[in-house]
Amino acid sequence: MIQINNLTFQYPTKEHVFKFPNIHLKEQENLLVLGKSGVGKTTLLHILAGLLQPTQGTVKIDDVSIHSLSHQKLDAFRGQNIGLVFQSNHAVNSLTVLENLQARLFFSKQPVDPKKIDVLLEELGLIQLKKHYINELSQGQLQRLAIALSVIHNPKIILADEPTSSLDDDNCKVVIELLKKKAEQTNANLVVITHDQRVKSLFSNTLTL
Amino acid sequence: MRIWKISLQNIKSKKGYTLVSIFTLALSSMLLLGIQQLKKTFQYQVNNNIEKIDMVVGAKGSPLQLVLSSVLHMDNPTGNILYNDAKKIGESRLIKTAIPISYGDNYKGYKIVGTTKEFASLYNAVLDKGREVNKAMEVVLGHDIAKNLELELGDTFLSSHGLLENDLDVHSEYLTVVGIYKQTNKVIDRLIITDLESIWEVHHHEKEEHHHDDGEHYHKTEHHSEKEITSLLVTFKSPTGLLTMPKRINKNTNMQAALPKYELDKLYEYTGVGFTIISVIAYVIFLVSSLIIFISIYKMIKEQRFYLALFRTYGASNLQLLQIIAYETFTIVSIAFLLGIAMAKGGLYFMFSILNANYQQTRIQDLAITDYLELGSLVFTVVVLSVLLAIYPIVKMNISTTLSHEK
Repeated sequence: MIQINNLTFQYPTKEHVFKFPNIHLKEQENLLVLGKSGVGKTTLLHILAGLLQPTQGTVKIDDVSIHSLSHQKLDAFRGQNIGLVFQSNHAVNSLTVLENLQARLFFSKQPVDPKKIDVLLEELGLIQLKKHYINELSQGQLQRLAIALSVIHNPKIILADEPTSSLDDDNCKVVIELLKKKAEQTNANLVVITHDQRVKSLFSNTLTL
Repeated sequence: MRIWKISLQNIKSKKGYTLVSIFTLALSSMLLLGIQQLKKTFQYQVNNNIEKIDMVVGAKGSPLQLVLSSVLHMDNPTGNILYNDAKKIGESRLIKTAIPISYGDNYKGYKIVGTTKEFASLYNAVLDKGREVNKAMEVVLGHDIAKNLELELGDTFLSSHGLLENDLDVHSEYLTVVGIYKQTNKVIDRLIITDLESIWEVHHHEKEEHHHDDGEHYHKTEHHSEKEITSLLVTFKSPTGLLTMPKRINKNTNMQAALPKYELDKLYEYTGVGFTIISVIAYVIFLVSSLIIFISIYKMIKEQRFYLALFRTYGASNLQLLQIIAYETFTIVSIAFLLGIAMAKGGLYFMFSILNANYQQTRIQDLAITDYLELGSLVFTVVVLSVLLAIYPIVKMNISTTLSHEK
């Protein structure tokens, strides 16, 4: 459950003030945020993830007003409740697929359950690549690993920033479907932010900035 | 998943950088340690062996050579002096002890020194086994010789002429081991001690072989006037002797008197400049490798910025990020430092094994544990500072910005 109210943001060195519409998402409700570059898509996503402090307004995830948490508590909250998918650079090159997932669970202080990891990798078609390093993976495989990293810890909200921009049409659809499926399985809200019009038809709930 | 595993994987993923870092740091550690050890060995060698010898009297020539050959046993003697002349000097009331030494032979490169019973007391050498020399052709071995050549009481051997090991010029009389000294860590550990008679006898036999049947006593009386020694090691009763005797000997006799402390201080001054220069070079190298360490760490952290930011989004604390970097760096630095120690030791032993082929006298003085700790803590201070300096931007980093500016 996500509630965004009266949110504004201004970068310290810039005059422009971003104003964001109020957003209310019920449990398991998904949202696609569309917009051209420069309208503050990534800024909104980073505010939702608690990576940026808004100038005004509140973000509540499961009734927790995340920006009133202390630094450390916010870090811990983010680690446990939020799953992030980035456009690229989703994983650490010096670690294997398995080790990346282990690190994900370790840092959010969750038990590193090998069976859980195997089930997820199997589901995402990455199980044979378990012991492979990141640079041995293709773009599509990388994006699936990014999904695995964003859901392995059963987050309450999955935030995806341009998850499809570097993918071809087939992979684009596969990735969005997987994200939606995993969100449903873990009872999480899914928020996808993109300028990729291909994705539009795959969501019922759309917001254009 | 453990933090050190992430660090190890990071190291593994950039082997080239790791190797270069290890090598430069190991090299500078090696130089710093090596120079310290060399200096210590040299100082020890000098100070420890001249302690009780105030003056050396020998044949005219270089005073430094006389000291090096008769006190440190590192050089060829300047020549011989007449035993009777030396004895006259020894009779002076300013002198506490005057110990004649005579040498010119070796066994497997170890110098055979003919002297009196007081010689051992110069080095506080006490018997480990057996007894002192009672008659000619008996020897007592220094600790290292007995150990290195595996000689025991009752063993016999033939000496060869000169100070270098050779098979061409071997004397025909057997020397018998009657005693072995305890270890002193001084030059006597590497000397073979016998009485003056043995040296004279061996050499008279060469000149007048037909006298052999008449025995040693005959030689003693017959050739007493011609008997020669290499030098006389003198200790004074008071500093007055030190001031007057050398001058008198140098002026009035055809012998020369040299003061070991004075000569070796002079030598030390010359070599000291060398040591200082090498030390400075070593520190410059150390400074450069510190800089390399810092730049490497800084670069490494900058390259890993994105991953460190990623870990932060996973919920990692700044302390955990610091741990990742610290484990990684300290692994590299520890390996490098240990390698440096090994290289310093290996290098010095190699160097000394070449040098000792000529003069089996020098032993490497091991550095005290505090010396290692000193350099170790210096290295680790540099590393800690580098890590802290380099990690500071990471602690302060804006995760949002870092993640937005993707590589």
